Amino acid sequence: MRLPRFDYLRPETLDQALDLLATHRDDAKILAGGTDLLVRMKKGLLNPKILISLKSLNELSYIKEDAGCIRIGARTPLADLIASDLIHSKARALAQACEKVGAITIQHYRGTIGGNILQDNRCHHYNQSDFHRSGRQACHKDGGKICYARDEADRCNSTCQSDGATALMALGADITLAEKGGERTVDLAGFYTTDGIMPFAMESHELLKEITIPVQGAQSAYQRLAYRSAIDYPIVCAGVLIKPSKENEIADARIVVGAMGRSPLFFAQASSSLKGKKLTDTNAFKKAADTSMDSAAAFAVHNVGATLEYRCAMVSQMVFRALEQAAGDAKG
Amino acid sequence: MEKIKITLNINDKPCEVMVFPNDTLLEVLRDELDLTGSKESCSEGVCGSCTIQMDGKPVRSCLTLAMEAQGSRIRTVEGLASKDELSDLQQSFIDHGAVQCGFCTPGMLMTADALLNEIPNPDEETIKKTLAGNICRCTGYAKIIEAVAHAGNPREHCPDCKTDRNTRE
Repeated sequence: MRLPRFDYLRPETLDQALDLLATHRDDAKILAGGTDLLVRMKKGLLNPKILISLKSLNELSYIKEDAGCIRIGARTPLADLIASDLIHSKARALAQACEKVGAITIQHYRGTIGGNILQDNRCHHYNQSDFHRSGRQACHKDGGKICYARDEADRCNSTCQSDGATALMALGADITLAEKGGERTVDLAGFYTTDGIMPFAMESHELLKEITIPVQGAQSAYQRLAYRSAIDYPIVCAGVLIKPSKENEIADARIVVGAMGRSPLFFAQASSSLKGKKLTDTNAFKKAADTSMDSAAAFAVHNVGATLEYRCAMVSQMVFRALEQAAGDAKG
Repeated sequence: MEKIKITLNINDKPCEVMVFPNDTLLEVLRDELDLTGSKESCSEGVCGSCTIQMDGKPVRSCLTLAMEAQGSRIRTVEGLASKDELSDLQQSFIDHGAVQCGFCTPGMLMTADALLNEIPNPDEETIKKTLAGNICRCTGYAKIIEAVAHAGNPREHCPDCKTDRNTRE
């Protein structure tokens, strides 16, 4: 498959990149690893006039711990995160999530963590070839007024299938967006619009620069379900965080479910139901998992391959397994 | 949009080529440089038949722009064998019947070669995990895994193996 035509720019510094973005805005797209972007371009889903490559911006590739936070440059390859002891010991869910992305040949310094977060939402009615889509009316995401995933839906119901974003939201990560002359830091959970067409609350001249994970003496875990063990997107995934108290109780918990809605879904009710419970209380985990399943069912539409009933049922399983794992780690 | 002259380091030889910005590395290798060993199959990063090595790491050449490959050491399946002799891994693939239609083989070889360079004696689980990104439609994975294990350590992983190489050692 040929790529459509575009101009290729490769800035040498972050400032140059932000300059170019400010000039070209909607005409330009950022090329990091390209494992999501180039596929979309080949299928005719995107047709940017200009690609701005981050290849020379090594300043955006780092993992470091400083002032109670883990800081990760947006262009850090997934393989670096998987190999990092710091990530394994203090943000385990992220390491587990990155290991599941694509395959080794995708992770090895092609796929980046920034690209993983910013991969566009998917839908098996939309992510198809030009030819497939040409045989019918365009859907919302394709510029039309129809949704093939849910009858009479007035907006796009595409699904966020990012492994990394689900794990990072469970870890309570913040992201820093840079633009020419400034930058802003936002909570990842507040970074999503509820619009499947443009799922991210960012402007076209902004660049994802850094991911910050607070280190809070908690244990995290990530579980995902997919048809294949590699080169596949999750049909359900769950990231959880458990912060233990001195009395082996749960002081705080976060449950996030991915691949079910337009963004990873944080379930406050299920999460807070775990507060004060013992780390060994599997009944409480089961209950929180079922609550998550009920909440997730309201968001999901039939657009990821597996049947809706199966996916919803599996939400409970994935959350339960992740909770068990994180609690087991928290007990030491 | 104009063609741009770039230099690629392919199999330890510098190659000057004229490319469009939207040429993938795979297209340049196959169409400009006649290195047709790497295969285009799905063209969207799923199948692994276009796998090559960049700086020793296996990557998908169909999802790599030629422009992005400047400055990296690129190794294709053509660079595995020395002048007269196949590499141990290639010979092992032949000896174990790990090649059926052969379309996935260049990708399998490049991924497996990178693994063996990193871990000279991988166990079966590691081989399976590493090759998970390469799909074989003939479904001959068992023999491919055997072949890689054999190339890594014939005595330990292939004790009953009667291939040339074992008797030679």
